[in-house]
Amino acid sequence: MEFDFSPILENWRYLWGGFGITLGLSGLTVAASLLLGFAMAIGRIYGPRWLRWPLVFYIDSMRAIPVLVVLVWTFFALPLLLGISIPTFWAAVIALTMHIAPFVAEIVRSGIESVRAGQTGAGLALGMSKAQVVRHLIMPQAVVRMLPSFGSVISITIKDTAIAAVIAVPEYMKRSETLAGQTYHPVEIFTFAMLVYFIILFPITRLVDMAYRRWAFLGRS
Amino acid sequence: MNYDWSVVWQYRQMLLDGIGITILLTVLTMLVAVPGGILLALMRLSSMPWLARGSTAFVELFRNLPLILVVYWAFYVMPMVSDIELSAFNTGLLALCLNVSAYNSETFRAGIQSIRKGQAEAAVALGFSNTQAMFKIILPQAWRRVLPVLASTWVALFKDTSLVSVIAVGELAHASMTIRSQTFRVLEMLTAMAVIYWMLGYPQAKLVDWIREKYKVNE
Repeated sequence: MEFDFSPILENWRYLWGGFGITLGLSGLTVAASLLLGFAMAIGRIYGPRWLRWPLVFYIDSMRAIPVLVVLVWTFFALPLLLGISIPTFWAAVIALTMHIAPFVAEIVRSGIESVRAGQTGAGLALGMSKAQVVRHLIMPQAVVRMLPSFGSVISITIKDTAIAAVIAVPEYMKRSETLAGQTYHPVEIFTFAMLVYFIILFPITRLVDMAYRRWAFLGRS
Repeated sequence: MNYDWSVVWQYRQMLLDGIGITILLTVLTMLVAVPGGILLALMRLSSMPWLARGSTAFVELFRNLPLILVVYWAFYVMPMVSDIELSAFNTGLLALCLNVSAYNSETFRAGIQSIRKGQAEAAVALGFSNTQAMFKIILPQAWRRVLPVLASTWVALFKDTSLVSVIAVGELAHASMTIRSQTFRVLEMLTAMAVIYWMLGYPQAKLVDWIREKYKVNE
């Protein structure tokens, strides 16, 4: 079998653009998911009772529905329901955030709950308000414990953006697929795509593994 | 806008077949990926360097690739570079097995390493061979810590089977989208697809929570 990598070299600008879209989509999704995930976890733990069960229901439901289904539904069905059109890129940002934010919320919740209850009691006994206890006592300890998991969120998000190819977001996966179809060189193009994804994802998972080991002692209290 | 939900009932047979294939894919993948994961974990922890390196390379590769890309690769590239010709179903199954075996191997490795070294040493001191110590002392204890993680992987896998729809395996996602393009009932079919996944997945997610609570290890 002869390999011919010239389609990749000739179309490097097209692929490079796709790579940029993959990174942009991942960055926006991670940022939005962190914000929303924090809000949901705080609402679930400290919020009023009526807010808790819808949040729990939403978080658990999103654990049950595949991200592909969320993407396809957001892009094809939601615009029909609302009577507006959503550009593919933003449909992907919305769908991926809907999917990743509950995952972040669970990380934040387990981080907060890992700080022993006695500390809240101690803070309150020293005359701190509930908000002060959360801000100055619980969060600084909890956030350190969440950090390695946030690294996993980044790598999961990058992998999930590849699924946005099914709604034709022109990110790296979609562009590889298009190029493979046009040039009849799927072997070289998909193998190269594997290399590209591996090169971005491997250092992230390595850093996450290191972070777990490096910061494990901070988890003790 | 008019909605016509009867389309869901009308195509119930196709949807039921899709659900069947989704469940079949999940079960078959797990049947391969649990022994596969154990094997990879034992290889990685073995004292033979080339076995350990081979296993590490396999696990790191498949943990760091989007599953959808592995599915495409297995479908378009594998038949061209090798003589392996598989049906779409088997191709999807293969991609899922590669991915889940890599994750399971990390689960088993963490489980095995969570059992203190002293236990294996005590077993060897009592006259067990290394293999006996692994299968009679360490694995039975590691199992307890591994089970909750395997349960989570199960739910993730159940959802990930939807990705093989891109190579036209007729599981639930592909079946729903085929009906959508035949009937143009876009909103109805896509909502039905989401609801069916939810009905199947939600109890599983709740069961995972229960297993996690039951097998919680208190250090």
